[in-house]
Amino acid sequence: MQLSAEHLSLRYNGEDIVHDISLDLEGGELVAIVGPNGSGKTTLLRGLARLLKPTGGYVLLDGKEIRSISSRGVARNLAVLPQEHPEEVDITVSELVWRGRAPHQGVFQRATSADHEAVVWALEAADVRYLASRSLGSLSGGERQRAWIALALAQQPRVLLLDEPTSFLDVQHQVEVMALLSRLNTEGMTIIAVLHDLSLAGRFMRRVIGMSDGRVAFDGIPREVLRPEALQAVFRVPMVILEDPETGLPVPLPRDPGAMLKD
Amino acid sequence: MGSLTAKARASSSVSSVRGRARRHLLVALLGFLTLAFVGLLTMMFGAVNLSIGEAMRGLVTSSDSFSGLVVGQVRFPRFLDAIMVGGSLGVAGAMLQGVTRNPLGDPTIFGLTAAAGLASATAISLDPQIPQWGIALACMVGGLIGAGILFVVAYRGAVSPVRLALAGVALSALFGAITVALLASVRTFIQTTLGFLAGGLYGSDFSDLHSILPYALPGLVAAFVLSGRLNILSLGDEIATGLGVLADRTRLAVLVVAGILTASAVAVAGLVGFVGLLSPHVARYLVGSDHRYLIPASALVGAIIVASADLVAKLVIMPSEIPMGVITAALGAPFLLYLVRFKV
Repeated sequence: MQLSAEHLSLRYNGEDIVHDISLDLEGGELVAIVGPNGSGKTTLLRGLARLLKPTGGYVLLDGKEIRSISSRGVARNLAVLPQEHPEEVDITVSELVWRGRAPHQGVFQRATSADHEAVVWALEAADVRYLASRSLGSLSGGERQRAWIALALAQQPRVLLLDEPTSFLDVQHQVEVMALLSRLNTEGMTIIAVLHDLSLAGRFMRRVIGMSDGRVAFDGIPREVLRPEALQAVFRVPMVILEDPETGLPVPLPRDPGAMLKD
Repeated sequence: MGSLTAKARASSSVSSVRGRARRHLLVALLGFLTLAFVGLLTMMFGAVNLSIGEAMRGLVTSSDSFSGLVVGQVRFPRFLDAIMVGGSLGVAGAMLQGVTRNPLGDPTIFGLTAAAGLASATAISLDPQIPQWGIALACMVGGLIGAGILFVVAYRGAVSPVRLALAGVALSALFGAITVALLASVRTFIQTTLGFLAGGLYGSDFSDLHSILPYALPGLVAAFVLSGRLNILSLGDEIATGLGVLADRTRLAVLVVAGILTASAVAVAGLVGFVGLLSPHVARYLVGSDHRYLIPASALVGAIIVASADLVAKLVIMPSEIPMGVITAALGAPFLLYLVRFKV
């Protein structure tokens, strides 16, 4: 399923954030959106997920203008997980994940076996099945994040958009979430994630889009676009790119200011 | 080992729906039994006391006997009115608490009751002979205006509970003051006025029931239809939109339905307070926060509260009666204090 932006401009909280972006995200892609705070990556994600109404241009889902499709119809194909989730929701993990079936269920329709299978699959994929009867409030940060991912998975989306799914997680859970996204991607799901951590983007994603001031600064495979000059221009910090000795993948790091003085 | 048993337990809990369903069925059964019990007492006791046998006979036979007249023409319709008033207020409160994510959500606190009440008082002062259906219609207009104001205040996600409650208190005070001024300027029967202001079912009969059913029944059905969407909305606006539920449209629909249900209650019983606040909290304790169960349960709890309060109101200072709203306030106010102290 293809998701694209055509001359997309977006406004958030009364400010023009994203300016005239055109992008094609093909089915089965694994994409990271990176950029400094305020560069518009979250706003772009919101726009792509039809959570924001464009001030210019449009978003296409499989060639159709996304706003011309019913919101429920979109939700059957596209799931989005915002970065922040309401704290006061205190339901069990199972109840939360069942709500992901809403776009597939009618008002008076009883849960079908397909619904049940989707929920079980989502719980297992996000590794929260053993937490199914626990309440959200009793979970650790990593467990809770996986429960919310399971909610999105229960929609059985073909496109999954996530806003910083690894923030607030420790290293182990970061890697677990990224591995989950990779696995879902190999099963055919298109994944688009806003990421803060450049080394995670370099290691796990197959395409990295860099944003700066609401525009696309670079876009390509990690090995080609994660370069010191490009990153420096976007993040405004001198960067050095290491190579992972095991995989050969790029590991971007900010340069040590002390070392730079000796230059 | 520990995690293994945890996983084994979890595999059954994915479909723990069945265990919950049994609990909900039990709650419903107990609720209906309680309501029936209150109903039986209502048929038996009042200005004249009837035996169980007389009360039952009065219920089934037509109005040609004395007990038939008392039960069939006075007590039974008034009991049905109590059920509709309590059910409507309970559901309105549950919806308002859900949509505003505010445990203080209540038609009285948010000013809906006062808006409907002002409309009712205006209609009565314009035409003291206005038929019951006219009052009901006026209340609907008032309730919808109140819902509109609430929507503007609560518009778009950033609903601050404090802001909503403050706006509601301000509106209640304003509308309430105008209502009292209007009622004071019209020399209506004092007990009716007092019953309206404090909330009561004095003299209400089948005509009251008939005047609100065309609004209250669709309102209750709509509330149930919206319950799934309220569940989704409780996950936050962005996640709701992502799941295909349009947040603002749902909020508007919920407020309109809450306005209609509140207006239905006000048209029959005047300004009854605290039922909308109290019922959802009791219901949540019984069935949890899933609106598909919470809304019907709030209706049942509200009906029980109002029917019981009305029975008590009739009996405490016999042969006179105090307004039923005094009883609900006496129950509700301490509960509100408890909420503020321990829960909010």
